[in-house]
Amino acid sequence: MSSYLLSLIVAAPALAALVVILLPPTARMAIRALSLAGATVSLAGSVVAFATYDKAASGPQRLESYPLVPSMGVRLSFAMDGWTGPLLLLTGIIIFAGVLASWKLQNRDKEYFVLLLVLVSGVFGVFVSQDLLVFFLFYEIAVLPMYLLIGIWGASHAVPARGPFQVVWKRFAVGDKQYAAMKLTLMLLVGSAAILAAIFALYTKSGATSFDLHHLASVHYDRHLQIVVFPLLWLGFGTLAGVFPFHTWSPDGHASAPTAVSMLHAGVLMKLGAFGVMRVGMVLLPEGTLFWVPVVGAVAAINVLYGAFCAMSQSDLKYIVAYSSVSHMGVVMLGAATLTTTGWNGAVFQMVAHGIMTGLFFALVGLVYERAHTRSIPKMGGFANVMPGVAAFFTLACLSSLGLPGTAGFVSEFLVFLGAWNAGHFLWAIPGVLGAFVTAIYVLKATRAIFWGAGPSEEFHELSDAKTTEWGALAILGTCLVVLGVWPRLLLDHIDLGSVTYLTNLLPVVVGAK
Amino acid sequence: MNDLRVLWLPLATSALAILVLLLDVMSPPPVRGASAPPAGRMIGWVVVAGLTALLVASFFVDSTGTAAAGAFRGGPWTTFLGRVFLAAGILGALGGMDDVAERMPRRQGEYWLSLVSSIVGMTILPGARDLVLAVVAFELVSIPLYVLAAYAKTDSPPGNPATNGLASEASLKLYLVGATSSAITFFGLALLTGMAGTSRIDGLGAGAMTPLGALGLVFVLGGIGYKIGMVPFHHWVPDTYQGASTPFVAFLSVAPKAAGMSLLAVLFTSGLAAQRAIWVPPLVIFALVSMAVGNLLALPQTDLRRLLGYSGIAQMGYVLTAMAAADAFGLGMTLFFLAGYVVTNVGVFLVVHVAAQAGGGYGFEGLAGLHKRSPWLAAALLCFLLSLAGIPFVVGFWAKLYVFLAAWRAGLVGLVVAGIVLAVLGLFYYLRMLQAAYMVDGGDLAVPRPGLPLRLAIALCLAGVVGIGLWPAPFLDDAMRAGHDLLDHRPAPAHVAVAHR
Repeated sequence: MSSYLLSLIVAAPALAALVVILLPPTARMAIRALSLAGATVSLAGSVVAFATYDKAASGPQRLESYPLVPSMGVRLSFAMDGWTGPLLLLTGIIIFAGVLASWKLQNRDKEYFVLLLVLVSGVFGVFVSQDLLVFFLFYEIAVLPMYLLIGIWGASHAVPARGPFQVVWKRFAVGDKQYAAMKLTLMLLVGSAAILAAIFALYTKSGATSFDLHHLASVHYDRHLQIVVFPLLWLGFGTLAGVFPFHTWSPDGHASAPTAVSMLHAGVLMKLGAFGVMRVGMVLLPEGTLFWVPVVGAVAAINVLYGAFCAMSQSDLKYIVAYSSVSHMGVVMLGAATLTTTGWNGAVFQMVAHGIMTGLFFALVGLVYERAHTRSIPKMGGFANVMPGVAAFFTLACLSSLGLPGTAGFVSEFLVFLGAWNAGHFLWAIPGVLGAFVTAIYVLKATRAIFWGAGPSEEFHELSDAKTTEWGALAILGTCLVVLGVWPRLLLDHIDLGSVTYLTNLLPVVVGAK
Repeated sequence: MNDLRVLWLPLATSALAILVLLLDVMSPPPVRGASAPPAGRMIGWVVVAGLTALLVASFFVDSTGTAAAGAFRGGPWTTFLGRVFLAAGILGALGGMDDVAERMPRRQGEYWLSLVSSIVGMTILPGARDLVLAVVAFELVSIPLYVLAAYAKTDSPPGNPATNGLASEASLKLYLVGATSSAITFFGLALLTGMAGTSRIDGLGAGAMTPLGALGLVFVLGGIGYKIGMVPFHHWVPDTYQGASTPFVAFLSVAPKAAGMSLLAVLFTSGLAAQRAIWVPPLVIFALVSMAVGNLLALPQTDLRRLLGYSGIAQMGYVLTAMAAADAFGLGMTLFFLAGYVVTNVGVFLVVHVAAQAGGGYGFEGLAGLHKRSPWLAAALLCFLLSLAGIPFVVGFWAKLYVFLAAWRAGLVGLVVAGIVLAVLGLFYYLRMLQAAYMVDGGDLAVPRPGLPLRLAIALCLAGVVGIGLWPAPFLDDAMRAGHDLLDHRPAPAHVAVAHR
């Protein structure tokens, strides 16, 4: 069994989806049970894969390879390395919590769970793929179900038209879920188009025999090609990672999406983007990376600061969390741009930390919205009196978001800024730290406005705290945040192995340039 | 004997056509006022069974070799395309059976005869190595289609006069444009023949290219371009798709296009390989404008048949992209794309047809609430649309991927980049269809209840789209082999030239 473990992790949700398709829509309990079973198998598999990763041997392990299109050099090959374990774990936790968080869904639940499971299969597939084309294939599978998930189960939310573009604004129905879904899909697929072009370029230049990532990494591409191709990968994957100015799909998309979809999308999918930039862009194209890294770092610093300021000016709870994701993903990209082990460790750790934190955030926002039927912060206040549990978890997520020591957010931000500082990138580190400071302002402001103070007002007196399955989701995510905050080595030992492996490909170039 | 073996597919298909004719003649004449005579539907099933038998047989008969004194050459190339045409024929016949029986009950025999005749022409076309044979086959493909396009003209339910007018327009446009394009093609071929001194396709490119020959070449390109709906010769496509009966359009939108592409490949990629410097640049431009115009004009369409017409124009642009690579890889990927396109496009047209039959009409509103009215149909539509848009795990992903890869490898980087961007643009209107099916409330529209043949056809298309998408390797390899077969088994040009002069 163990030799097929990675395939099992990838296939379990898809197989569960296949069985769910065959169930009648009225078998609501069976649909949920099967979905949870699929998620559980993947989560358990991820835990096993993570725990049994041989740290002494490091390098890629649990190799599996099946021919898909042998004549074109496409193989369905999976493996895990230091980075994969923590990311699989993250995905497993989020989908498990996501299924729990969607337990009460009333509307067309069969289709919903099918799409959710297919999507998460795609995510698992990306993290373990060792073949660039298969990587891309899973990437697309992870991106597209989002269109239906947001378009069908999302929430429309009128955004008043303002400013010089209000005619266009009205014309496209900004705030409408259809608008958000279409915008997200088209922007991400334009990104995919850039990635596809880059894949063609690499495949053709490497002799057009194989899409294997190790093979592609062993080829030396000429400097000119690297400089042209790297931005395609950076912006292509970066669109999904919310790289400024291609982040605009993210607030609309996350605000319109249903709870579990927001959790998955901000918690895991955006990481696919950052993972793609690092795993494909930076590892395969060291010279291109070195050429562009000042831009990548600068844009990441903008991301951190700009996202934070945008979040500060929102009054819609979901938009705040969505913009904070943009800001936090900037931290990931900033860490990646340092090209140091510390920075990369921080970046990958931040992927996990932010994934869990934002998952918790969106789960809580979903809970609050479900009960209060509003996401507008000015209308809220004093909710801690009626939903103390939710308030506690929200505060925990906020503390991690602002990087309080003892929470997971602190570890990653500390590592990233340390990496940037050590590498002499003061110009990135300072706005980055400033961004973290602004984050503290807006998350604390939001927490106070929603949960603390006098209240709640008359209409919210009947609000209740979280219930059964919801507690499950919150408890898992909250525990992870604290555990990772006080015991970061649990993941960092793994992540470090991955960073070192990948940086060895880059280091000769980095050192050579200096 | 050898000739019989090599030509078995055209011969067997002709036999099927004769069988259909005999069955039609011998079946009792329809009684006026009676409902559809059972004989017509029976003939339809005979056609399906016959074509299926031929498709199965194609895996057991080796047709490699030349026949008719070198005018026809069989091999993996003809076999692959033959299977594509047979599959399209089976799907088209299944899809059209109920429609024909309901709307034109008294002329069913002729419908099936025309359909099979057209397929006979298609099975000859890819193997034709002499222009005379190619021209005959080409016309044999086209002329029955003109008739079929007008089939919805009469016998349609009273009280639906609009359909009649549109059907006449559809057929007339197809006929006039088709006849003109044939004339232009033949004129071009005459010029090429005159220049080369031979009507053998392998000898066409032997001599140096004269200006007159180059003119002929452009004429041929334009003429075939009409048939495949390449921009700027595409104007008939949306009108015909809208006017003719939709199940027939499902067939029309794939099989003749594939036939036209095969002629293009035989003539240009193979016959005029030495002149590629002359025909590749225009082909690149045609591919680009086809993708651009098709995708852009599909955006504002409100009639799904017209939308799919423009989408088809764009899809032909993708095929031309691979064709412009002008090598065996490009040809192989052209074939693979066409094979995938058959199952995808027939499928999408049939679903649209079924949904329209349920009362919603052919606009976006016809798809409204399909997910609720018929979840399986909606799921099938989802797969077909994803395939047209080129999203995994369906066949369209691999098709588009390899089409672009082929062009990229041939150095057409700019074309590929433009194509990928336009393909993303195209996603918008496919998603709009999806939106109609999944996110709009259907109100009190009826539940679509397609008959057995239609359900079978859609199920087969779905199996093809998902099956090839999950396991593309054997199909890709077959397509590659076919592409190599066409290019690698040419007589040396110099030798042919000497032999004919």
